[in-house]
Amino acid sequence: MPGRQAHGRPLMPKSGGGGRPKHRVNNKTADRKSRNNVLDAFAIAAEQVPQKKAKGVRTRDLDEPEERPQKRQRDDDDEGGEDDEDGDEEDLEDARPQKKKAKNSDDFEGFSDGGEDSDGEEWHVGVGADDEDSELDSDEAFGESDEEKFDGFAFSGSSSNKKGKKAKKGGNDSDEEEEDEEEDDDLESLGSDAIDLATALDQYESSEEEEGEEESGSEDDADSESSESEDSDDDMEDPSKLDDLQKMISGFAGGDDDEEEQSGSKPTNKLSLSDLGLLGVQDPHMKKSLKLMNEEKAAKPGQSKKLDIPLAKRQQDKLLRSAAYEKTSETLERWIDTVKHNRRADHLVFPLAQNAHDAGLDSQELLPVTKATAGTELEQTILAIMEESGLGPTNKPKKEDQDNVEEIAARKGLSAAEMQEITRQKRRERELFSREQARQKRIKKIKSKAYRRIHRKELLHDEQEMHDAMVEAGEIDSEEEREALDRRRALERVGTRHRDSKWAKLGKKAGRAVWDDNFRAGLTEAARQKEELRRRIEGRKKGEEDSEDSGSDDYSAESGDEKHSKKRLLEQLEHAASYADGEAESGLMQMKFMQRGEAQKRKENEEMIAQIRRDLDSDYDSDGVEETDIGRRQFGMGKKEITLPGQQAAQKKKEKKNITNDMSNLQVTPQQAATTQVADTSLAASVAGAWSKAPQEGRKSTKKAAKASVGELDLSNAAMLASKPKPKSKDAAAAKEKKSSSSSAPAATVDDSSSDDEETIHLPLAIRDQELIKRAFAGEDVVGDFNREKAEVEKEDDDKEIDNTLPGWGGWVGEGISNREKKRHTGRFVTKVEGVKKEKRKDFKLKGVIIKEGRVKKNDQYLATSLPYPFESQAQYERSLRIPVGPEWTTKETFQDATKPRVILKQGIIAPMSKPVL
Amino acid sequence: METTDRAEVSLSRAEQPSGAVAINNVRSEFRSKAEANKIRKVKAAEKSYGRGRKIDVKNVKDKKLKRNLTNLEEKYQTATLKAKEAEILLENAGGFLETEHELERTYKVRQEDIVSEVNIEVAQKKFDLKLDQLGPYICDFSRNGRDLILAGRKGHVATMDWRDGKLGCELQLGETIRDVKWLHNNQYFAVAQKKYTYIYDSQGVELHCLRKHVEVSHLEFLPYHFLLATLGTNGQLKYQDTSTGQIVTEIATKLGTPVSMTQNPWNAILHVGHQNGTVTLWSPNSSEPLVKLLAHRGPVRSMAVDREGRYMVTTGQDCKMAVWDIRMFKEVNNYFTRAPASSVAISDTGLTAVGWGTRTTVWKGLFSKEKPVQEKVQSPYMTWGGEGKRVERVRWCPFDDVLGVGHSKGFSSLIIPGAGEANFDALEVNPYETKKQRQEGEVKQLLNKLAPEMIALDPNFIGNLDLRSAKQREADKDLDAGPPDLEEEMRNRARGKNSALKKYLRKQKKKNIIDEKRLKAEEMYKQMQEKNGERHKEKVAELGPTLARFARKE
Repeated sequence: MPGRQAHGRPLMPKSGGGGRPKHRVNNKTADRKSRNNVLDAFAIAAEQVPQKKAKGVRTRDLDEPEERPQKRQRDDDDEGGEDDEDGDEEDLEDARPQKKKAKNSDDFEGFSDGGEDSDGEEWHVGVGADDEDSELDSDEAFGESDEEKFDGFAFSGSSSNKKGKKAKKGGNDSDEEEEDEEEDDDLESLGSDAIDLATALDQYESSEEEEGEEESGSEDDADSESSESEDSDDDMEDPSKLDDLQKMISGFAGGDDDEEEQSGSKPTNKLSLSDLGLLGVQDPHMKKSLKLMNEEKAAKPGQSKKLDIPLAKRQQDKLLRSAAYEKTSETLERWIDTVKHNRRADHLVFPLAQNAHDAGLDSQELLPVTKATAGTELEQTILAIMEESGLGPTNKPKKEDQDNVEEIAARKGLSAAEMQEITRQKRRERELFSREQARQKRIKKIKSKAYRRIHRKELLHDEQEMHDAMVEAGEIDSEEEREALDRRRALERVGTRHRDSKWAKLGKKAGRAVWDDNFRAGLTEAARQKEELRRRIEGRKKGEEDSEDSGSDDYSAESGDEKHSKKRLLEQLEHAASYADGEAESGLMQMKFMQRGEAQKRKENEEMIAQIRRDLDSDYDSDGVEETDIGRRQFGMGKKEITLPGQQAAQKKKEKKNITNDMSNLQVTPQQAATTQVADTSLAASVAGAWSKAPQEGRKSTKKAAKASVGELDLSNAAMLASKPKPKSKDAAAAKEKKSSSSSAPAATVDDSSSDDEETIHLPLAIRDQELIKRAFAGEDVVGDFNREKAEVEKEDDDKEIDNTLPGWGGWVGEGISNREKKRHTGRFVTKVEGVKKEKRKDFKLKGVIIKEGRVKKNDQYLATSLPYPFESQAQYERSLRIPVGPEWTTKETFQDATKPRVILKQGIIAPMSKPVL
Repeated sequence: METTDRAEVSLSRAEQPSGAVAINNVRSEFRSKAEANKIRKVKAAEKSYGRGRKIDVKNVKDKKLKRNLTNLEEKYQTATLKAKEAEILLENAGGFLETEHELERTYKVRQEDIVSEVNIEVAQKKFDLKLDQLGPYICDFSRNGRDLILAGRKGHVATMDWRDGKLGCELQLGETIRDVKWLHNNQYFAVAQKKYTYIYDSQGVELHCLRKHVEVSHLEFLPYHFLLATLGTNGQLKYQDTSTGQIVTEIATKLGTPVSMTQNPWNAILHVGHQNGTVTLWSPNSSEPLVKLLAHRGPVRSMAVDREGRYMVTTGQDCKMAVWDIRMFKEVNNYFTRAPASSVAISDTGLTAVGWGTRTTVWKGLFSKEKPVQEKVQSPYMTWGGEGKRVERVRWCPFDDVLGVGHSKGFSSLIIPGAGEANFDALEVNPYETKKQRQEGEVKQLLNKLAPEMIALDPNFIGNLDLRSAKQREADKDLDAGPPDLEEEMRNRARGKNSALKKYLRKQKKKNIIDEKRLKAEEMYKQMQEKNGERHKEKVAELGPTLARFARKE
């Protein structure tokens, strides 16, 4: 049966769906026309209206999907329309529908596997298609018992329908809606039972609209003979005219859409009950069967009005199955995401959270308990107690808030108006500020170069002005002022009154400071001036240095301020010393014991100064360790550090001297070596051996000429060596130049590099020994040995060719074989063993390093023999291994996450999932 | 974090010759503040806890693999982020001596100054033991820094809980002692004596005499592998498993009497310094050195490797101290020492103590993993000595700011601020462990013991892919290995229901060749049948007479 009905119906939703929007254009005219159509069938309509209304309410009451009421309505309307339009042919088929109807309902109920409510409303689970649903006629649903119940019951014009419609149409036909509403009002005013003509008409119209949406085409075609009269009025009663009009409209509508044409092409000679003379019949089954008949007629226009033979059981079943399959797959599809999610989940917890009794409740947040929410007795009691003690939820605080402003005002002793004024002021300020900000932002965003250029000029100008203003105000020194200051200082230096001037020296000599107040004042003045100027210059210099620092990084760590402060300290020391010198004897001082005491004191002071100086010097050397070095001062190498490039010749001479000095040091060094010996005697011996070897390499590097090795290292040998370091000293001088540029660099313990340059001159003893040490260790050609070894290893690991030729194989051996023959037989069977090429060695570019090539066999057992399945590359696989798992490498949380089992079972009943999670 | 940012900024700007500043990695897309913050956080976490480069997931075709790898990367990231966040739990902050003004020098600060400033508890850590009778002393701290062992060259050994000043045991061995070493905890220590090496327990009872370790001059203990490595004066390097007692390997270094030895705590590779200035790197798995490098012109007197296995400091008889990057095997820097340094040690925070002559110098920042280019340090961090005590050995106390110096007149413990790791990991080593914890820790250590075969230059090689070609593998196959065991083969190769044994017999029945293999197979089959029959009977008995028919025969 559903199969059968599928013939006619399915076209209609299609045509409706396709043609709807276009139809709305002609809607009004269609309405009118349909109203006209109705006129002749008004009597019938008048009787049927209340029932239709009842249907509307029913649909509203039932919690069905939205489609259904509409469909039902549509079916209904179809029938209505059919009733009106085709009235002639029905006599023939009078008896058949009756039978059909009975069978119909039987079939239907037998088939349905969904359910049935008390009103006879049915729904289906297995049948998915809409067409089958459309079977469910509202007339059917509206059983006889209901009819009795709702007889004479009027509704406000099937408002639910309208609403649905409105929702669908949107704003397309607002005027119509208005109309509808008006009608509703009318209806209400008339009373629930009553129904007037206009309402009836309009109701019909509204249902007709629906129809117009879905199958206006067919209807329009039905009135094919009607002539064109577009401006037909509501009171136009001539059916032929109406028909004409409708035809024309259908022409318009049908021309638009193919589908409509399709549906429109079928002639509609529909049956209606009224045609059959059964005006009062309200049996839904009957109506239904009638409708069926109509449909069949519509389907096969030219043929006789017989019903088709029902499809074979198998075919029906097939259709059913396919529909059922669709439906089930649809329901199953809803689970796909959930299943996927669960399959991919790292952890699953059973029983499922969704089945928990508190599922859906938020446990994160505690809601405040109020009277409304306090459900349990305990909560209510607690609430009561809290309220009693004044802690409960009250509305008071809000009020306080409101009063707050006034209170504040009162406290400040301001009137409300003043307060308001203040707030207004503040608001204004805030507004201005935000505006300004916005403006700045906008300006900032401007990308125009021209704008920037112009404004840059402006900015510069402003700055200049500001600067000038500041200069004028005396906040900063102008250039002239600075220059003047400099000049003053220079003049001061040039002039008599400074510490090293003739005036001062003379005065000092004469001890004028003791008796000449003028001189003393001059001294203090000079000191003050000097101090001031110095400070001034320093202040500037600091800035300069800073800028220099930021500009170039060649300043060592101990630059700038530190050095400066040291210098200052030194100066102070000097000053102190000179002051002590310059002190003359007063009367008291001339007494002997005083002098003695003074001398002692001075001595102490001097010592102290010397100590401080030494300390400072050692600071320069960056290592305070060598303060005990006696050799340093002994040989007068203390502070000769700054050498000008022009002094090179003198330098060379000095160098020579130094080397001789080295020789004299030699007596010391072996001792040192002895003291540095390891306790291990064997070691000591080996060390001694190294020391006693002749310095071959050193000579090589300097002279590049082999010399007979000298057995023992003695003074004469050293002297001989010392006589010819000339080429070296040049280098040294050059190196020193470099050094002196960063004057007094604290490079005592630490040499700049391991390079071979010899800075023997200003280095302390221990360092100067380095050359000696180098010579001492040069005996063993360590580097050469190493390089040779490396070359050997490289060769060994390299590709090899092995000659497998057997003598006598394929040729003669023994005496009398010519060399040529022998040669011919060598190298006939060569196998090549691949090794590691020199360029591919790991240590190819590393100096002084041999890294073993090839594998360590014992390690191989921990290697994976092949790439495990899911991975596509080595990197992926090895990366997956590297993830930290142990508690030693990760936080507790990470560790627990990583080691959590996939399925976690908790106490409780494990129920299957009730609904898809996602 | 700020400093890193600045570094990034400075890196990203490259000055052009024209003076224009080109910004290399310009960020083109807009980021919200929160997003930028997040990115910065991730970067910081990656810097300190990252585990290498991410894999590119985009090019993976397999969907499942792609998802898995993405998850993996997520896990990596959360792990690093969590680790970074957990830094908040590190309650102790380390710090170094700092000068107040530029004239001050940290190396001017003397031990007395420090002692007068710090609280009593800390001040007590500075002490001197005057032991001038039994010759230069060497020292060693246990892994958790609680216990100290002192050994005089002339045969005096003493262990002590040095913080409490409690003496553990004291031995007068009466013969030369060349080295001492704590084993995995404070219960055992090894002493390299005149001829053999001995193992004593905490009470000073001689437990073992290792007769195979003759004339040992250096001892090292690999705590994760339970290997005691000894280096004899004859150049023999021997590994002995202290948990099983077996000698794992004996290797001849073939470079004469070695001068020094140390271990790389990161990968358990031993570094041996030789007379000719070379340093060789050894693992028990190869008879040749893994790496050989020329560090000095003269004998390599001492070596030390930093905790993370990145840098090595060597000192030579040629009065030089070299800093090596031992990941690339490149010399980073070279320093002069005033006298050949006899001992070097690197603390957990990277301070390097160098004992030379009668002095000890502590250097800070000789190397730093954060810096792209190591800079040459100009002045030491702290100094000590100069009082006629010839330094024999310097050792840092783990988890404390204490440097132990064994010298010719006993032992001195110095306070060096900032030397120790401030936050210890009790899962790893617990300085405050109780007896029970020590015992449990020992068990855990034994359970987690690593096989000696796992020692390699790169300790992360385990599980990596073997990249040899099939041909190469074929060539490498051990041709001397015996034929595979028949029984084993037939028994264990069971695929599906049919065992390999059954299949073999089935195939052989047709052939009528009777050889040893077949006889064995038949015998095995018979045994199997019998066993099955017995099992069946048992089942039948269990099920009773009526249900017996359902007992399945195998």
